[in-house]
Amino acid sequence: MSNKVVVLMRKAPYGSVYTAEAFRSIMGIAVFELDISVLFVDDGVYALVKGQNPAKLEMKPLGEAFPMLADVQVQELYVHDESLAERGLRPEDLVMEVKVVSSTQVAQILEGADKVLPF
Amino acid sequence: MLYMINKSPLSASNLSSVLRIAPQGAPILLYEDGVYAAIPGARSEALVREALAHHPLYALDADLEARGIGQVIEGIQVIGYEGFVELVEQHNVVPWL
Repeated sequence: MSNKVVVLMRKAPYGSVYTAEAFRSIMGIAVFELDISVLFVDDGVYALVKGQNPAKLEMKPLGEAFPMLADVQVQELYVHDESLAERGLRPEDLVMEVKVVSSTQVAQILEGADKVLPF
Repeated sequence: MLYMINKSPLSASNLSSVLRIAPQGAPILLYEDGVYAAIPGARSEALVREALAHHPLYALDADLEARGIGQVIEGIQVIGYEGFVELVEQHNVVPWL
């Protein structure tokens, strides 16, 4: 079955439920062994920043969940370069090694999707 | 791909964000609060004109009418639900929530 899913992450974690729900959806999709990519654009890149500790918010840290996706064969994680740069972030500020991509590449990844799931 | 925007351009940066990603010629649909971008004379007009230079831009009539927007920036194509369905049939969608 060719069903390529791109999960588009554009929201910061903690301020809304989007990041956590996206993670749950990704895990659910991974169970069905669909071809899945996760694309971090705009405030979505904040989900991957190192050193998140939401204990005082009584929430679970979301950033460190993403490296664990490799265990369920979700390995295509992409981060938009301009979104990262305009937030003063570098790839080494992130919880894991990701593929840093240009605006053109972001569009190509979206173009290659059968379904885009926006969060 | 059809890029879909449902946030006001004056309170969210969804439109400018789409404009740096969407390739030349990709259609953009304004719906829900996204239709506020269609208003002539708003601070967002320059951004919308930039969008129109590179993309077909559509706005959903039901959302325009609901918000009392009777006039749209020249070049924006006002469509109904039928037109909306046609667009979705022709393109995969990227909802830029």
